[in-house]
Amino acid sequence: MCSSCGFPSAPGHWTEAGAPTPGDRMRARFRRAQAASVLLTAYGLTARDDGAVPGVQLSSATGATQIVPDFDKVWAEAARMVGTPIDPLGDRFLGDA
Amino acid sequence: MTPETGADRLKLVIVGGYLGAGKSTWLRHQLHVGAFSNPHLVINEAAELAVDDAIFGTDTPATLLAGGCACCAGRSEFLTALRQLCDRRSGPVGARGRTDLAVLETSGLADPAAIAQAIQSDPMLPFHVTLAETIVLVDAQNAAAQLAAEPLSRAQIEAADRLVLTKTDLAPAGDTARLIATLSRLNPGAVISADIRGVAATLPDHPDADPLPLADNAAAPIAPIQITLPEGLDWSAFAVWLSALLTAHGDDIVRVKGTVRTPAGRLLLQGIRTHVQPPEILPASDLARDGTIVLIGRNMDAHRITRSLARFAARLL
Repeated sequence: MCSSCGFPSAPGHWTEAGAPTPGDRMRARFRRAQAASVLLTAYGLTARDDGAVPGVQLSSATGATQIVPDFDKVWAEAARMVGTPIDPLGDRFLGDA
Repeated sequence: MTPETGADRLKLVIVGGYLGAGKSTWLRHQLHVGAFSNPHLVINEAAELAVDDAIFGTDTPATLLAGGCACCAGRSEFLTALRQLCDRRSGPVGARGRTDLAVLETSGLADPAAIAQAIQSDPMLPFHVTLAETIVLVDAQNAAAQLAAEPLSRAQIEAADRLVLTKTDLAPAGDTARLIATLSRLNPGAVISADIRGVAATLPDHPDADPLPLADNAAAPIAPIQITLPEGLDWSAFAVWLSALLTAHGDDIVRVKGTVRTPAGRLLLQGIRTHVQPPEILPASDLARDGTIVLIGRNMDAHRITRSLARFAARLL
């Protein structure tokens, strides 16, 4: 853990496995943020990872931004920001709503 | 994260089961016949007054945690005990008290999945401990009543890798056969065997026995659903979708198992409810099963899951 910013607060999240080299890890970070945005767009949020700031940055359409450390917390924080759980099987994502 | 093969970590075997299922008796016999190599016992009792440590004698090093179940009230004592075991492992090879295997006998009120979750939420232990197996003992005489009355009994069975029926000599063979049918319906992935006071016994052979009717809270049976990674969808993206699915439906999804290909090699994915173990890297193989994930759970709409994953992949690719 970095004593200035407190990241990472826990050992790597399971979603971060499978990237052996620093290059793979950086590519995987960008890819995860891109993938999370696919789900979050249905709820009016975007996820961003610029490779410099630790964690994932969640932003709403009104500009509210939160930095969250891992993907368990991404969904919890996104649910808090929009007031409803993020559900990949829900009507909002499947386009039924 | 650099996933390790797990070979250099402390292996933890959880022995669980409902109150009076025969955990201590079974474990004592397994220690006697040397089923575990050089283990350190961690015995947990929910009550203040400890009895179980007397059963085991002094041959095997043991830590007793009384007065709180390891998955809730006694969680911090349990994590401290595990940390101490890890500390000793950082000493010289062959030092006293150094062990590669910890066997936890849970209290009868513990949910093994909650214990796995407790270890994962610790800042240090996930680096040093790997959950090797969850063995749950099922009392052939009383399990039917416990399943009907106690959601906990069901949660324990659902979390198991291996189910061991005990006291099969005291229950009619027909009842045991129905219980086995119920167990394989509740947890289709678990290996079922029978032991009487720790000694292996044969299971009654009635493949067509009817499962027991389960109470309302248990109305929805557990069923496995198989999902295949859409062509071109990489692990990083799939992991994000899966973590969202587990966060939203973790209470219904009891188990996740499968292997996926990544730049680091084949990853073994294993989860109990919302908790996914740090994936391990498996040796390379030509098995065509890679990219197939099995979800075991209830109230799941296979069609909706497939549609969600297909939509996710289509938007991303």
